[in-house]
Amino acid sequence: MIELQGVWKTFSVGPVRVHALSDVSFRISRGEFVILTGTSGAGKTTLLRVLYGAERPTEGEVEVLGRDVPSLGRSEVAALRRSLGVVFQDAKLLPARTVYDNIAFVLRALGTPRSQITARVFDALRKVGLSSRAQAYPAQLSQGEAQRAALARAIVRKPPILLADEPTGNLDEGMATEIHDVIKDIWTSGTTVILATHQAGLAAVLKRRTLVLERGRLIKDQG
Amino acid sequence: MVGFLVSEAFRDLRRAGRVALSAILLITLALAALGAFWIVTSNLGHAVARWRDRVRIVVYLRHEPDAAALASLMARVKAVPGVAGTTYVSRADALASLKRVLGKDASVVDQIGQNPLSASIELTPSADASTPEAAREMLARLGAMPEVEEVAGSADWVERLSEWQRLLGMIGLGVGGILGLAAILTVTTATTLVLHARRHETEIMRLVGAPEIAVRMPLLLQGMIQGLLGALLAVAVLTVAYRLAAPHLEPLMSLTLGLGEFSFLPPAGLAALIGAGTLLGALGGWLARAGR
Repeated sequence: MIELQGVWKTFSVGPVRVHALSDVSFRISRGEFVILTGTSGAGKTTLLRVLYGAERPTEGEVEVLGRDVPSLGRSEVAALRRSLGVVFQDAKLLPARTVYDNIAFVLRALGTPRSQITARVFDALRKVGLSSRAQAYPAQLSQGEAQRAALARAIVRKPPILLADEPTGNLDEGMATEIHDVIKDIWTSGTTVILATHQAGLAAVLKRRTLVLERGRLIKDQG
Repeated sequence: MVGFLVSEAFRDLRRAGRVALSAILLITLALAALGAFWIVTSNLGHAVARWRDRVRIVVYLRHEPDAAALASLMARVKAVPGVAGTTYVSRADALASLKRVLGKDASVVDQIGQNPLSASIELTPSADASTPEAAREMLARLGAMPEVEEVAGSADWVERLSEWQRLLGMIGLGVGGILGLAAILTVTTATTLVLHARRHETEIMRLVGAPEIAVRMPLLLQGMIQGLLGALLAVAVLTVAYRLAAPHLEPLMSLTLGLGEFSFLPPAGLAALIGAGTLLGALGGWLARAGR
């Protein structure tokens, strides 16, 4: 489903070359729950960006859902992203739209028939436990609720892969646990999940396969 | 998808707020100015065409030519640039015409004894001779013919009218062009503001793999909507202004230019104005997004 082979990503800042990813290789099968951990700046975000085609690796092979990601053109990257759900530390909700409209916006932008939109939005909201807040605006939500809304938006198209980049980075422990529970529910429904977090202890709590990055290198693949 | 694109375009238009309103008003001004000059110049054009048809230049001949000489002369006159039509008037025809004009006093002519009138050729100038230079050259060529005694008549004042028509047309295009350019820049500014305002939407759309048309088309559409609204407003302004002004202008036009009716723009002209407005808006929207 996801396979990286000898992936390097180097950024040049003037004469300085920074290796955000150094010779990273791994394989993730369908239905796995993988935690990607490491300190800030270890390369977690860059790795996820490489997976959804926002960064092109300097070297190496990246295959996602059978597609050779580095060779994809703009429209092919868009097609790949239609099969991925992505959430970030910042929920990135549109402030002038309700929770319902934030999620419906994605479906409408992708040309989903109008007759299917309401049912699909509420299905996604139910999965994240946010049905009662459908008409609330982002400013009226707690951070945990905002992150649930972002998760609902990511899964509303039922993508086979969910990429979560520090989705609980801004949350207190209680809220973070709630979000992790939601992500686990999404995983148990058959979605492959890659959860990036700097919280090393989380891997022990969730008891899932863990990839540890350090200064761009994959130093541990366990579980 | 179309519904989504249009609703996003209207949302963007609301976001642009006063700048979009300024753009719409500038497009209205540009097209109303263009339309107003168009109405005036087209009416002047009607007057020029009408009067040009009525202009007669009379070429008086030294002697009445025989049939062979007449054929040769007529061929040479018709070959002069700017001559659209010719009618030969013999001395006898001229006398008969004079008698018709004199009516019951025609017997005065009989008392003269012999026919005092010259044979002549009446000319109608063509549109080619509409510039003063061309008209002067035509008259000079006719006057230089050995058979010609005198050339009478001139299209000078008609040509002056024609020059006014051309001048007003140019001013209209100039004013409309400058205002149109300002309108394009304002639409571009409005679209740039919208681009900034909708950056989060754009980011989300790209993240979920929305097709590029769904990302970009609303920007182009909101520009086109600004243009269309501006054009429709301009047509409304022109229509109201015409209805208010025409009853007062028509007597003046009749008196000075001989025009019975002060005409409005034809439906094709109105459609062209609306199309031009939409195009102006689209251009503004495109210019803003082309930079991104």
